[in-house]
Amino acid sequence: MSLSFEQVGFQYRGTSIGVHDVSLSLASGELVALIGPSGSGKTTLLRLTAGLISGHSGRIVLDGRDLSGMPVHERHIGMMFQHYALFPHLTVLENVGYGLKMAGVEAGARRKKSQEMLDLVGLGQLAGRRPAQLSGGQQQRVALARALAYSPQALLLDEPLSALDASIRGQLRDQIRQLQQQFGATTLLVTHDQEEALAMADRIALLDQGRVLQYGTPTELYENPLNETVARFVGLSTICTATVCGEGEIDTGYARLRCDTGARAPGEQVKLLVRPEHIEADPPLFAVNRMEGHVTLNRYLGSFNRYDFMPHGAQQPWLGEARSAPADAIAVAPEHIRLLAA
Amino acid sequence: MFIRLVSLSYMLYLVLPIVLILVGSFGETWVNALLPEGSTTQWYLELWEDRSFIRAFVTSLIVGAASCAINTLLCVPLAYSLVHGAKQKNRFATRLLTLLPVAVPTITLGFGYILVFNTDAMPWLGSTPLLIAAHVVLTLPYLTQALVTDLRHQRLDRLEEAAATLGARPIQRFFGIIVPNLRASLLSGLVMVAALSIGEFQLSNLIVGFQNRTYPVVLLQAFYGATGFACAATVILLLLATVASLTSTLASKKA
Repeated sequence: MSLSFEQVGFQYRGTSIGVHDVSLSLASGELVALIGPSGSGKTTLLRLTAGLISGHSGRIVLDGRDLSGMPVHERHIGMMFQHYALFPHLTVLENVGYGLKMAGVEAGARRKKSQEMLDLVGLGQLAGRRPAQLSGGQQQRVALARALAYSPQALLLDEPLSALDASIRGQLRDQIRQLQQQFGATTLLVTHDQEEALAMADRIALLDQGRVLQYGTPTELYENPLNETVARFVGLSTICTATVCGEGEIDTGYARLRCDTGARAPGEQVKLLVRPEHIEADPPLFAVNRMEGHVTLNRYLGSFNRYDFMPHGAQQPWLGEARSAPADAIAVAPEHIRLLAA
Repeated sequence: MFIRLVSLSYMLYLVLPIVLILVGSFGETWVNALLPEGSTTQWYLELWEDRSFIRAFVTSLIVGAASCAINTLLCVPLAYSLVHGAKQKNRFATRLLTLLPVAVPTITLGFGYILVFNTDAMPWLGSTPLLIAAHVVLTLPYLTQALVTDLRHQRLDRLEEAAATLGARPIQRFFGIIVPNLRASLLSGLVMVAALSIGEFQLSNLIVGFQNRTYPVVLLQAFYGATGFACAATVILLLLATVASLTSTLASKKA
């Protein structure tokens, strides 16, 4: 089932908050993550898709039919909520079977299917329990089973992991992704955790103030961010201002660096972007783009160190990652310096 | 130490009248003394033989039960719409309307009933249905408030959203999700309604007819007779109230 948004707009009454002119398309079975700062409109977009809020302009089209004006219960879109939203008065098995019951599936088949789904998320033996007797991670797995059990046409995940401890988050993340692929469910994931988005999504839409800033694969967003906002939101980086001083050369005020300046004319102001893993610690003396200075802060993270390095004359440190922090110099290969509009 | 002393004296202040009434109901004579003299169960036997008391007791039970039934039908949808759908302006109006019976002195309400229902067009003053209606008006705010608090506390709106995405129509969500999850607060709220209805005196006294007086109204007359009889009649009301509050406590404990 493909899902597409065509110039979707929505505003909460009396505010300018909402989404504006959002166009996105999801291929069948694709998982797209909506990320962005709070208030960027990602949850609004999700709730519009579910039909939990209504009154948008433009079209939301699922498998060829326009969802506008269709009530929630007719949309057949499964949803997983941040706070699980399991029904406390029903058993785990009855929770999973609720969607099937609403669809009119008879009791025997319903129980069988629900039990299968529970087995699939590894909770088969807890079928008779009440939600309150489960841990947060278990509850969210029940919620996942419930959202998938009635074979919905699409799946919506609203910050599904943010209420959980870090230790189970990664595990459940993999399980959600695995089941989503197994069921081939076209999925929208809302998250404020960019790492979650990078790890799970086929494509990511970055929203800011209700608009889509960039829509692409995780690699595209990380390696080719369209602007500084995207670059800052996805991954860690060093971003600083510089001036083009010739073809293939920029000046940061304290160092002249070789890089691809494209069609930019000398004198033009730019922002340079370097990802931490591309900074080389203690390069040889003859290395290109070598800068001397000192480490101002080092964070030991086990398999690597993440450090702030202040080149001589600089006001703002560079962020680097390496097996061990540099003693007195760093270097960046020209192809790893990306220029953005200032 | 000081706090203990205060709470102890308060306890005494609360419990002493009840104890005295209990003692009095078994006393033979009680005139101008701290405690009654002699012991007897005659007052309870007299009470049992007094037709007007028995009838009043039954009337009180009927009115209480009817108030509970009608309140259930009214308050669950009312509380739901208060929390849910109602727009800000309507919400304020509904809140005002439901809280007004609490704020307005009951006697005002009683005079209103007398004025309106003592006319040729609506000569219903003194009828049981009107009595029930009056009790519903009085008790409705309490049950509504209990339900509203529970709806908010349990975040039932979230559960309803989940049910909706799973294909439940509004009516299925209401009866399948909202009502079952409200049963604890509904039960304890209803016990409160019953207790309020059974003990209600002010309004009932103004609008009851001779045939369908409620227990507290008849009780007042007992005070003009023998002290022991009055005490015994009061103990019966007390017993009812205790049963009600015990049920309430048990219900909320279970929830």
